[in-house]
Amino acid sequence: MAAYTLQRCLGAVKVIHKCGSHSFIARRSLLSTAYTDSKLWDAREKDHQNLALLAALMDRTYDRNFPVSSLSISRFVDNISSREEVDQAEYYLYKFRHSPNCWYLRDWTVHSWVRQCLRYGARDKALHTLKNKVQYGMFPDDFTFNIMIDSFIKDEDFKGACSVVEEVMLQESFDLPTTQILSLYALSNYLATKPELSMSEERALGASLLISGLKQDSSIGLSAQLLGCALLGKVEMAAGIHAVFRGMPLMWTPGYLGRALAVMERVAAAPGDGKLSKDAVDYLEGLLQDLSSASDSSSGEDDESGGEEGKKEEEVVVDEDDQAERDKLPLYASRFKDLSGQLQSRGKVDPSPLQVLVSSLVQQSLASAEGPDMEQYQRKVGEWEAERQQLIRREKEMRERAEEERRAHQAAKAAAKQG
Amino acid sequence: MVKKKRIRLIAEMARKIRAYRELKNRPRESEKYALDYDTMTRPHTRKTLPVLAWQDVRRESRLFSLLSGLRMFGVGHLFTRKSWLTEHPEAPSYWQVTKVKVDYTAEKMTKSPLCVLLFSTGKQESEPKEMDKVMYHDWRLVPKHEEEQFKLYNPVPEPPIRYVSYPPLLRAMLLAQRQKDELGSAAEEPTLPLKRDVLLSKEYFRSQEKKRERQEGTAV
Repeated sequence: MAAYTLQRCLGAVKVIHKCGSHSFIARRSLLSTAYTDSKLWDAREKDHQNLALLAALMDRTYDRNFPVSSLSISRFVDNISSREEVDQAEYYLYKFRHSPNCWYLRDWTVHSWVRQCLRYGARDKALHTLKNKVQYGMFPDDFTFNIMIDSFIKDEDFKGACSVVEEVMLQESFDLPTTQILSLYALSNYLATKPELSMSEERALGASLLISGLKQDSSIGLSAQLLGCALLGKVEMAAGIHAVFRGMPLMWTPGYLGRALAVMERVAAAPGDGKLSKDAVDYLEGLLQDLSSASDSSSGEDDESGGEEGKKEEEVVVDEDDQAERDKLPLYASRFKDLSGQLQSRGKVDPSPLQVLVSSLVQQSLASAEGPDMEQYQRKVGEWEAERQQLIRREKEMRERAEEERRAHQAAKAAAKQG
Repeated sequence: MVKKKRIRLIAEMARKIRAYRELKNRPRESEKYALDYDTMTRPHTRKTLPVLAWQDVRRESRLFSLLSGLRMFGVGHLFTRKSWLTEHPEAPSYWQVTKVKVDYTAEKMTKSPLCVLLFSTGKQESEPKEMDKVMYHDWRLVPKHEEEQFKLYNPVPEPPIRYVSYPPLLRAMLLAQRQKDELGSAAEEPTLPLKRDVLLSKEYFRSQEKKRERQEGTAV
């Protein structure tokens, strides 16, 4: 009886919880429908081409070692109409990137490729080409990135959204406030699910948090910076500074935990309104404790078992700089205690979790930030259209000229034969 | 009498064809500088890299692997070398990329960045030059948010150049020459600057040769 009522209560609680979470992060995208709408994009002049003919043309051109024009690849991508054709287009994008014209892959081709992928449900394909951007030459602009992140957020695939944010970070294109807000939202939601992070994932998350937080001056930005530095410091302690900055746009001077503490100091000293989220501060505290206990235990083991091979290997790998970093750990721990005390006393620690902060930021600023983005997008679409029309015209002119020359040549040959 | 040398036309043709084939089949940069990271040997020449370089090769990256991940192949970004960071710790030295030439045949996209501006120890080169030592595993990208701080540099003013008199025999010869040319002893005697004015490089010697030719005139 008691168990039955307990079960019913639990069931009720579960239902309520689901309702609550539904209203909070329902299946809705962050960006307004006007932003993600493809009406403006579809309103461009259509250039209907048969994909099979285009494919045959491109194959012939590649066989003869001639360069394929960027116009043909953009036509191919524009005229995709099914999922299989998405795969074919991926192949041709790969070939284009490995041809002499690879520098000329147009922005609008990349944009339309992403739109087509999203339309035909090939989002993982788009993510795959984005991740291997060296091989496919995918360097989307900010608007395209926003659309991609938004579609991932809509389906609550925060891991995928974080992969996209990682790519944005690698290209260092956190210029638009919309991009920053979206990426912070994705990152905070991903962290809220408390996933198991491998070292490379931690590194990527830390770097994305740090760089996206640098642009935002509010409390959410500062907390993101703190959390990012903490994650990077953890990787640094575990694997050395080289493992941190290799392949990432990060500074190579060691001391990321020191930078995290510098952020705290700045917040404590600044007269403004910036606060740090309790999540971030707690994470740093937990991290420092873990690291101190780990280093204590490992040094204890060292004393006990002198020349074990495993320990010897580790010591060979550790660099001088990294050793200096690890020795600073107790210093960091004590400084952290002071700074957190200061922050608490000045009321600069925001008790709400990171997720809530980001959602409030989203509600406040996203709508206003979208406006200038849309205008810029309209202007860009206009420019792209003009460029595309110019390319089409130029191609027509060149074809006409080639035709004329051929005709003149044939006439000359016929005249020579007759005469 | 020496027998007239037989003109071997076919051998001549074969030589030309061989030279042409060698030119056509010369190894691309990507093949020449490819490296097997497990055994630290180059597949092209089967030579092993020196042991002291192994740590750097494993940890750092080549310039093109950094450039390939950037938009427009990294035009406008700054790149430093780890060896410069250790050599001149206080003065920032970096290249800024302005143009890139791409070798598209390689699987991992080799590039030879051309035409970049160099800032070396705080001074800027006047014209864009081609970057050398591109394939060394030594390069680092300066992140955009750190660029300003990286470029900060307060140059220490150089002390003025000191001058010293010439060695005695040479000085005597110079003074005798000047007396013969009737400059008189009123003018200052020539002194030797302690810091070399001119960088002895290929361009300098070429310009000196040209100057000498102009003065002497071409041989008749």
